Amino acid sequence: MSKMTRKTRHDIFIHAILILLVMVLAFPVYFALITSTLSFQESYQYPPKLIPGKQFMSNFQEVWDRINMGRLFFNSTFISIIVAIVKTILALLAAFAYTHFKFRGQGLLFSMCMITQMLPLPVRIVPTYQLMASFNWINSYYALTVPFFASTTGLLLFRQFYLTIPKDLPDAARVDGASPMRYFLQILVPISKTNIAALFVIEFIFMWSQYLWPLIVTTTAEMRVVQIGIKMLLASEQIAPEWNVVMAATVIVMLPPLVVLMLLRKSFVQGIAMQTSK
Amino acid sequence: MQEDRFPGHKFLPYLLIAPSIAVIIVFLIGPFVQSIRESLFVSTPFGTKTIYVGLRNYVRLFSSPDYRSSVIATFKFSAFVIIGGLSISLAIAQLLNQKIKGVGFYQVALIWTYAISPTVAGVIWASMFAPATGLIPYIVSKLSGGYTLNWMTNGNIALFVVATAATWKMLGYNIIFFLAGLQNVPDEFLEAAQMDGAGSWKAFWRITFPMLSPTTSFLLFVNMLYAFFQVFGLIDIMTRGGPGNATELLVYKLYRDGFIHLNTGFASAQSLVIFLVISVVAIIQLRIVTQKAIYSR
Amino acid sequence: MKLRKNFLIILILTLCLLLSVGTALAKPVTITFWHAMSGSRLGVLESIIESFNAAHPDLEVKPLFTGSYAETLTKYVTAYPTGTAPNIVQVYEVGTQTMIDSDAIIPVYKIPEMLGETWDWAQYVIPITHYYSVDGNLWSMPFNSSTAMLYYNKDIFKAAGLDPNKPPTTWKEMEEYGEKILASGVVDHVYSGGWPDWIFEQTLAYNDHLYADNDNGRTGLAKKVVFNDDFGYMVFDTWVRLHKKGIYIYGGVEYEANSAFNAGQIAMLIQSTSSLAGIIKASKFKVGTSFLPRFEGYPVGNSVIGGGSLWITKGQSDEELRGVWEFLKYLSREDIAIKWHKGTGYFPASSGALKTLLDEGWFSADQTYLTAFLQILAGRRDTAASTGVRLGPFVAMRDLFRAALEKAIAGELSPKDALDKAAEKMNALLKDYAELYGK
Repeated sequence: MSKMTRKTRHDIFIHAILILLVMVLAFPVYFALITSTLSFQESYQYPPKLIPGKQFMSNFQEVWDRINMGRLFFNSTFISIIVAIVKTILALLAAFAYTHFKFRGQGLLFSMCMITQMLPLPVRIVPTYQLMASFNWINSYYALTVPFFASTTGLLLFRQFYLTIPKDLPDAARVDGASPMRYFLQILVPISKTNIAALFVIEFIFMWSQYLWPLIVTTTAEMRVVQIGIKMLLASEQIAPEWNVVMAATVIVMLPPLVVLMLLRKSFVQGIAMQTSK
Repeated sequence: MQEDRFPGHKFLPYLLIAPSIAVIIVFLIGPFVQSIRESLFVSTPFGTKTIYVGLRNYVRLFSSPDYRSSVIATFKFSAFVIIGGLSISLAIAQLLNQKIKGVGFYQVALIWTYAISPTVAGVIWASMFAPATGLIPYIVSKLSGGYTLNWMTNGNIALFVVATAATWKMLGYNIIFFLAGLQNVPDEFLEAAQMDGAGSWKAFWRITFPMLSPTTSFLLFVNMLYAFFQVFGLIDIMTRGGPGNATELLVYKLYRDGFIHLNTGFASAQSLVIFLVISVVAIIQLRIVTQKAIYSR
Repeated sequence: MKLRKNFLIILILTLCLLLSVGTALAKPVTITFWHAMSGSRLGVLESIIESFNAAHPDLEVKPLFTGSYAETLTKYVTAYPTGTAPNIVQVYEVGTQTMIDSDAIIPVYKIPEMLGETWDWAQYVIPITHYYSVDGNLWSMPFNSSTAMLYYNKDIFKAAGLDPNKPPTTWKEMEEYGEKILASGVVDHVYSGGWPDWIFEQTLAYNDHLYADNDNGRTGLAKKVVFNDDFGYMVFDTWVRLHKKGIYIYGGVEYEANSAFNAGQIAMLIQSTSSLAGIIKASKFKVGTSFLPRFEGYPVGNSVIGGGSLWITKGQSDEELRGVWEFLKYLSREDIAIKWHKGTGYFPASSGALKTLLDEGWFSADQTYLTAFLQILAGRRDTAASTGVRLGPFVAMRDLFRAALEKAIAGELSPKDALDKAAEKMNALLKDYAELYGK
């Protein structure tokens, strides 16, 4: 009996800590949500307001009109989806090659793929910009997507998984007379679903967050992405920053990656569990 | 290396990796080689004149006090984000891993910060800390009886606020990975340890922590990349490197020198240095990952 | 088989999506115009452009906000060699030397000639044209010129027992007023400001003191800065001292401090005159404006021109150039210049517009708008120091200056050390620039 109560007390204690943590972590976003419903004057009230106002729709409208949010939203969604898909395809193909075949230069070529991790865009930004210019890609969706297509994360994720597949599987397929591509498409890809979902989440969020590269490589308002939209609302405002409008924008910008994460959460968590398991 | 599962397909593997390799050569290695070349030159902003200067850009870089302070700031920032972020998220993951009701709810309620972009995190934290009008300075001033919290004039506070915002954003990601790692630690091990009379604290350090090491090393590396590169938007929105270079992280300095001050050669030299640092860490991390992979076969 | 098909379809779709990216369709004559105007200024600019486009069916000016001034310049520099530069770009005064040395632009004074027209360049206000001229010829089109002035909150002055019509005129008074206002407890801090680097330049010029050698880089490329002398130390010392006393509170890089002023949390603000319209709109108290404070006992100079001007990219077709010139002439029109001034606080660049404003009684209705004019017209304009600074690596130099001030304020370095160290780094930059441009 006493053991039970101790267990219950222990649980209540843990629940209390966890709920506190949930609230602390969520507070900044709560604050953003509140601010997005205030009028300009209210957003500068002292002490700051922590209960919602009634201005969300008009702030939202401001965002939409002032930075052409609809278009930016489309651009961000478009490039994030494209990059996530292409990266996944390239990573699947490469992981298949590296785990199911033996070929000359394999080690070297694998290291080359690994190098992607060590050369993030900021490190080679000036020459990459020049390259875009020489391709005539400045201010195009090509420039916003193609340089991101190589993915180490994906390659490692799939490779890790494929190494754990019992070799009977490909062997059986081969004995049945299946071609390697058929085995890949009909067996390997379907059993990689969870990992594909996990990678999609990672890459979508990664692309959605891009800021520096789109800032540099776009030259017209139509090609901007949401992150730059926020900056346009914020950094450049002449009078004080209009936090209410800026926050309305951040609330909009937060949503898509959150939705993607929540929709694919189960597979994502499972995919990651596979990655970390021994 | 593993065996060939489909002997007789000589060209197929090359075909399969060709797209990846093509992207890497054209968009990564090419530009990188180009930037090594450019690090040996200085040129006018519009490229009307270029002078070969040998290693001068590097000499200047290593003798520049501003670069040194940028290295130190990056180090402090990364240490905060990595050590602080990883220990907090490990603690949270450990709590989540208890057998209690509603784990699913907590999981959702604790991992979502991963979906927040650094820019968005920056905006929110900047507004909470806005010197004259923000919420946190208000609370601080009320609690302390009039202390003015102004991170725009205090480099340490600025670095702290920026690092906190960055850590907050990354918590969700770290928690997911740690939780996954923890769930792979077999209960029997812990039970056995407890049978031997080890307290849960001891059991954690003796059993759980070592078994988490692949996860931890992976997260160390990912968080380092994050602290080095992905926080650019956060810095640009929050402090622009100020006050007095206090939050001028390496990636931000590179951007300002290369793109705002139009000193391409100098920025290219910085690129190479950052690359070397990351490579060293990456090689160490890869060792661990590949070892683990071999072990798992 | 089916899966492979799906797979191929996805691949093809992806490629198609990528390929179907629309490039802009060409219109009769499109003039692209990159600018750094945002917030309330953007609205005014856009309405001017709209009216221009409506009046010129054969032309279309396409404005694009390209970020801050620094980012706009950077984008222009990177775009030019790739042939994606706009027809017109707005560059802040800091970038003037870079643009002059760029070999990427047509000096505006040559454009009427090229088109077989004549143009009266004398119609523009002299301090403005001086700033953007080389050997007496105007290289860029004056557009948004401002200077810095002192804004103050009359209500706070009253509450603190000060005469609301007597703002401080010297730095000594700034300190005295500051102490009184602090003692009254109305606010926690007395003044703040934007663009601290520019305000320092202003302060030197306003007391007729050079910033760099070779006449502030106007008679030849500057070789070194000369501000780290007794006068410069005194300015720096004063600011740091006032900060220590809590009178001054550092206000960030650009316009961050305006919010504190608008909210009535500080009594005074040293800021660009271009914030005027915005401040009047956003504040609920009576706003006063006055000249920048001076240092007593030093010669009188002038406050200098800031803001931006328009530069014209070379290598355009005749058609485009004609369109650009139409647009520039349109911006110079009296009514447009007046609209621009009233909507933003920037100077109307032409004397004609100024006279019309006077005649219609604009300044007597709202004297806050007059201060800026009186300040630049009352000062002298025959010395290099009062004309303003022109330096090659100016953007980087300003960053160095700002970092120095921030370090001095935080107490990391003494004011003198901070200034000397910044000067040393700036001199190295100037030397590199001179080396590159080999003169």
